[in-house]
Amino acid sequence: MSGHPDSGLLPNARLIARREYVEKIRSRAFAVATAILMAVAVGAALVPIGLRALDREQTTRIGVTSPSAGVTGRVIDLVSQYLNPMPPGADPATVRPHYILRSEPNLATGLVDVDAGRLDSVLEVSIGSTGALDFTFHGNDGPTSATIQRLQVATFGAAVVEYSQNLQGSGGPAFHVPSFVLQPTDLGSSVAPVDPAVAGSRTLLASILVVLIFITLTVYGMWVATSVASEKASRVMELLISAGTPRQLLVGKVVGVGAAGLTQYLAILLPATLVLALQDPLATALIGPADPGEAPLIGLTLPILLAFGAFFVLGFLLYAFVYAAAGSLVSRPEDIQQLAMPLSFVSMAGYFAAIFGMTAINSRVVEVLSFVPFFSPYVMLARVMLGHVDAWEIALSLGLLVAAIGASMWIAARIYGAGVLLYGQRPGFRTFLRVAIRPGGG
Amino acid sequence: MLDRMTLVIDRLSKRYGDVVALDEVGFSVAPGEIFGFLGANGAGKTTTMRIVLDILRADSGTVTWRGRPSTELPRRTFGYLPEERGLYPRMRVLDQLVFFAGLYGVPQLEARRDALDWLERFRVTDLAGRRADELSKGNQQKIQFIAAVLHDPEVVLMDEPFTGLDPVNVALLRAAFLELAARGRTLIFSTHQMEVVESLAASIAIIDHGRLVTGGSTREVRRRAGRPVVRLAVDGDVELAWAVDLPGVRASRRSADVTELTVSPGTDPQSILHAALARGAVVTCFEIADASLEDVFIELVGRPSTSAPAASRQAVEPAA
Repeated sequence: MSGHPDSGLLPNARLIARREYVEKIRSRAFAVATAILMAVAVGAALVPIGLRALDREQTTRIGVTSPSAGVTGRVIDLVSQYLNPMPPGADPATVRPHYILRSEPNLATGLVDVDAGRLDSVLEVSIGSTGALDFTFHGNDGPTSATIQRLQVATFGAAVVEYSQNLQGSGGPAFHVPSFVLQPTDLGSSVAPVDPAVAGSRTLLASILVVLIFITLTVYGMWVATSVASEKASRVMELLISAGTPRQLLVGKVVGVGAAGLTQYLAILLPATLVLALQDPLATALIGPADPGEAPLIGLTLPILLAFGAFFVLGFLLYAFVYAAAGSLVSRPEDIQQLAMPLSFVSMAGYFAAIFGMTAINSRVVEVLSFVPFFSPYVMLARVMLGHVDAWEIALSLGLLVAAIGASMWIAARIYGAGVLLYGQRPGFRTFLRVAIRPGGG
Repeated sequence: MLDRMTLVIDRLSKRYGDVVALDEVGFSVAPGEIFGFLGANGAGKTTTMRIVLDILRADSGTVTWRGRPSTELPRRTFGYLPEERGLYPRMRVLDQLVFFAGLYGVPQLEARRDALDWLERFRVTDLAGRRADELSKGNQQKIQFIAAVLHDPEVVLMDEPFTGLDPVNVALLRAAFLELAARGRTLIFSTHQMEVVESLAASIAIIDHGRLVTGGSTREVRRRAGRPVVRLAVDGDVELAWAVDLPGVRASRRSADVTELTVSPGTDPQSILHAALARGAVVTCFEIADASLEDVFIELVGRPSTSAPAASRQAVEPAA
């Protein structure tokens, strides 16, 4: 409906956004939901500390085997010293070690013990012709587990000590960097083929953020749809549509609900982020200082927060316009579910693509999906956190997302302009398509 | 030249699928006029109003106001009172009025002041701080009317503004109508209450099944389309059976003291008086009047203005 001199976006979109925002955040339901989610988020932020505390309670038993009893003994001494650091001033007799290493006659007996549950894993030491050591780890710990990361450091240390002891005068063999191979004992258990350079906590964080985006896009999208539908149900819509253009109403609605969503978001995330940022001091206060080599708790960085913010806001805009169009087609808020279902399938597809994509983050499929507008908020976010992404890829993905937002706004305004005057229609995906194609038709 | 000053609705047509909602409907409304837009439910009144407001596009035909197409006019030119009343249920009345006026570009303070003025005029200042869902139907309707006129539009379109109001509020609303018209505002309203139209509207249009049936000044329409009516009362004779037996005369309405008789075009109304006097009756009331609008409506449309809507149109346009 162009042509009216007052059909510009402002000031009406701003008025509508402000009304929407004020009504939303004043409502009791909003306050209750925010308070509950805030508590949940702070709780979730404390989980890694709890996990670390639990981890400390456990004792990991590792069998060590090598062709030489002397080498086995020295490796056990060195590695267990490293794995079980003594807190300053503690009495060695009272401290329970987290790792117990014991000698195994050979790999076969060790693996039998692992099967029987007497051992958690076996560290196989092989000795090269020059006396250089190499290590194979038989166990189920993934490459990103704290145990493996610390074992890698400890075995390297053991190799250095062994090398220096074998050194006689000058002219000995050059130092051989020991290899460290992971050999899963139980093929049934999954060991994620993630680049070990990426910290394991990143995967956890990425999953959390992708889940967060999924939940909030769906919930806030439904806010938009419900708000439009209830304006229709209360018939206030007829006044609105004669005072403003569909575009003003739509943009105002989406921005107002989005701002309310963002407010809730910040109310939830700020305390949780604070807990995360202060995690190390908090952990120290609650469960004592970090052991050397203990995995960092969480890898939240500024670029990740920025990427998350950008994909959340743009993803919301994209979905919100479609939700608004859906809301404009139903006569009662109760009917929204029928139209929202196909939408949530799209959203879910992106979500699952991101979650499963995390195990193959650099694959072509994931790469392609990370540019597809309805999926990119999930998939590109996962790639940014876990894979290798060039700056131009992020820019392209964001650019496509913005273009898609423009297109969805245009289509939504068409549907909305016709939909808000339709009553008694059977809400369904076909109505949606028909009105999108020919808004004026009956 | 007159067209450049008026609201001209020119040959509007609109179909919803197979249903013809409007079929070349056209009429014009002079500035400062109160205009009655009549039709049964489903006749196409709401569709016409929506097209004038440009919230619906006609398949063909145009609407111009003072020579400019309605699609190019600022939205604040028009005020609208939809038939289906709707306010934000949980928003306070005053906030609500200021919000809607704001959408039409009225600054907040001005809107607040004018809204309080209107509330005072309708004797409901105490409603300013109440939530809309706490209001009675009649009060909601008054608020809705204020929302339609608060931005002082040049043309106000009102769908059934009098429905559901008690006599006191009908009187208040009529006074507001007359005052707005005196200030040069153009008012177009639809209603089923023909007495209201007769006493308020200078001109009318009647549509049925999407077609214009008649239009023009109210007096002219009554005279042109209807048969004259004789109101007769005779002392001690309520039945007036003899009068109904006269050729070309039939009783159209009986009340406690007066009987309304419809006279066919070829019959002289005076003949009834002659007949009465010839019988030696004591005539206490004899009046020759134009047909009532209700009679005109029934004559032209074939059913009362309050009759049920055409079923087929309900699904697409229940508010018509």
